[in-house]
Amino acid sequence: MGTMGRKPVERFKNLCIFALPGIFIFCTVVIIPFIYGFYLTLTDWDGVKKVKAIVGLKNYMAAFQDINFWASMGLTLKYVLFSVLLVNIIAFILAYALTNGLKGQNFFRTGFFTPNLIGGVVLGFIWQFVFSRVLVNFGEASGWGIFSTSWLSDPTKAFWALVIVTVWQLSGYMMLIYIAGFTGLSTDVMEAASIDGATGMQRMKHIIIPLMVPSFVICLFLTLSRAFMVYDVNLTLTGGEPYGTTRLVAMHVYEKAFTARNYGVGQAEALFLFIIVACISGAQIYLGKKKEVEA
Amino acid sequence: MKMKKLVALLTATVMTVGMLSGCGSSTGDTETAADTTTATTEAATETESKTEAGTAEGTGFTYDENLAGVEISFLNSKGEIQTAIEDMAAAFEEETGIKVDILACGTGEVPYTKITSAYNSGTAPTMAMLDTTDIVALAEEYATDLSDEEWLAECSDFVTAVNEKVYSFPFCIEGRGLIYNKAAIEDTLGTTFDPSTINSYDALSALLADLRAAGMENPVVISKEDWSLGAHQLGFIYDTYDGTTAGATEVMSKLKDGSLQAEDYERYNEFVDTLDLLLSYNINGKDPLGALYEQDPIFLADGDSAIWANGCWAWANIAESGAESTDEYGFLPFVLGNDTTDFANTAIQAAASKQVMIDKVQASEEEVAAAKTFLNWLVYAEEGQKMLVEDAAIIPACTNNTNAPLDPLGKDIQSKMASGDTFSSSFIAPSDHWSVMGAAMQKYIAGQSSKEELAKELDKYWQSQEK
Repeated sequence: MGTMGRKPVERFKNLCIFALPGIFIFCTVVIIPFIYGFYLTLTDWDGVKKVKAIVGLKNYMAAFQDINFWASMGLTLKYVLFSVLLVNIIAFILAYALTNGLKGQNFFRTGFFTPNLIGGVVLGFIWQFVFSRVLVNFGEASGWGIFSTSWLSDPTKAFWALVIVTVWQLSGYMMLIYIAGFTGLSTDVMEAASIDGATGMQRMKHIIIPLMVPSFVICLFLTLSRAFMVYDVNLTLTGGEPYGTTRLVAMHVYEKAFTARNYGVGQAEALFLFIIVACISGAQIYLGKKKEVEA
Repeated sequence: MKMKKLVALLTATVMTVGMLSGCGSSTGDTETAADTTTATTEAATETESKTEAGTAEGTGFTYDENLAGVEISFLNSKGEIQTAIEDMAAAFEEETGIKVDILACGTGEVPYTKITSAYNSGTAPTMAMLDTTDIVALAEEYATDLSDEEWLAECSDFVTAVNEKVYSFPFCIEGRGLIYNKAAIEDTLGTTFDPSTINSYDALSALLADLRAAGMENPVVISKEDWSLGAHQLGFIYDTYDGTTAGATEVMSKLKDGSLQAEDYERYNEFVDTLDLLLSYNINGKDPLGALYEQDPIFLADGDSAIWANGCWAWANIAESGAESTDEYGFLPFVLGNDTTDFANTAIQAAASKQVMIDKVQASEEEVAAAKTFLNWLVYAEEGQKMLVEDAAIIPACTNNTNAPLDPLGKDIQSKMASGDTFSSSFIAPSDHWSVMGAAMQKYIAGQSSKEELAKELDKYWQSQEK
């Protein structure tokens, strides 16, 4: 085995065996559809016509002028901001609490992680029931005005319902990553800090958080991309209702392409979304990596 | 060492092949192949026993025996009849030897999206049951011309023509209006109720006031679903233009080119008045958008309310909520204005809502012939007629089918059709109309927009359509 990969032929063979299947699949399910999708943005296709006439950049113009698209984009940015912040803060606190040798901490870890195992569609339906029935009945019984009507029938409350469900779903997952980060912290450093007389807050600020930057980078990236692309929870929890005020950008793109049967514009909007998400995630990783320190 | 490499190579190859074949679902194919063989054998014996007839006695249904063993597929977009239509396919196969594979369109799957992806991947079903809008979009490019079929004579009122050619079979009639629960009204008022007296805005208004005075606080159920509000309720303004689909198309084109503004359109104003009336008695009135579609029919069946703005497809929900098919339910017109001779106040809307087209692009000649045979079986064979009405609970578009629907709403529509108290307009709007206008209607019923704002939304929607 020692000679493996020395000769060019060998190397080529190894490449074929180990890299080719992956590359092949990546091409067929990501690269080719992406290129084809780009091609569709230049046509006036409605999804079923045989002839696809090239219309140039008209679809991009239409996407630019689509007020509803940019409104959805704005709403999505707001949604991403709140859910990313809340998910990470809660996940971090949970992870911190559950790595301090709390009694039954494994049970709690499992408990907090479980929501992530439920598919978004099912989760949306469950919470729809909670918001429109359970809480309303509770509100009627207790006389609490905030629950007297369904949260899903008010634009602002429906937005927060989306955020709450997302936080509930994602924070357990991020908690696991933070727990891995916490358990990876070197006890030497922590001990040294204690001996030097650092208080709890000081240790958190100057030791723990800087050493946890890699975990933050991963968690932020995962929450950012998942929050931007969210569709399932949006569809089953609010369905864009009330009156289209909770339609996040992925849902808007879907509606444009499939309900309004305007593939070209839908694809162009999807491309805008891709560019925005790629820029934000890229910038976040780049900045995060610069902040990483070695213990 | 060579051995090890060989093993590694083999493993990798096997895995790659495995991954590739995963996409092809080879297991499924094998099963189908096996099915076909058995089906063909059965069919063969079946045909032999019937060689002389070729026609099932006295029904007018004939078929070509050479088609036995042909396998076709049928995309069903009415989820609630999936089992019934599978049974029908089995009965059809027993009779003719043609196997019809019923493909389900899952909940949440949009039929049009499903059919488009089927066409793009080369797996188009031989027959597809779709909404009229979708049929119109697909007809000329993908559907077999059915203009010469015999059954056109039986259902001429309900066929949809595209450039004067017929590309689809009207599978079922659906009607909509205001569903009433007769027992609930009579128990509350203590008198007998004659639905034909509700033929104007004032009459409906008086009925609702009486019901409230007699103790039924909120006699109306308005669902908040966007398809219900945007397509079925708002749709009345197009369908009642003159009661024909052509008329609906005409008013839409006027709205498109701006020669008609919603606020100047009489039907729009009448519609909003009636809607306001209904909303003021809405049992979901406290939180109109918090209405739950599972709860709405329960209000009606329990007699907490007496009127639900919906269509005959809602019978399944009403029955689930505890109503029996012997109970008296029926339709009131969605009254518009006070002219008691206006068809909108005396008749209810009933039109073919699901249409079946036969593929012409990917289907072979034999398959097209087999598909036509299936449609003929639905129209002419005794068993096909009966199963369509009784098992699938469909109101047939063909007048030669004399089976009576089992549910009260179906019965009501059928008797109104027989007495001429229906109008057959079925407006064909752009595919996102229900979604965009549904949202605007939700905003209106929630009290977040005024009549003028709703009119503006409507104008904006139509004027933004490409001409």
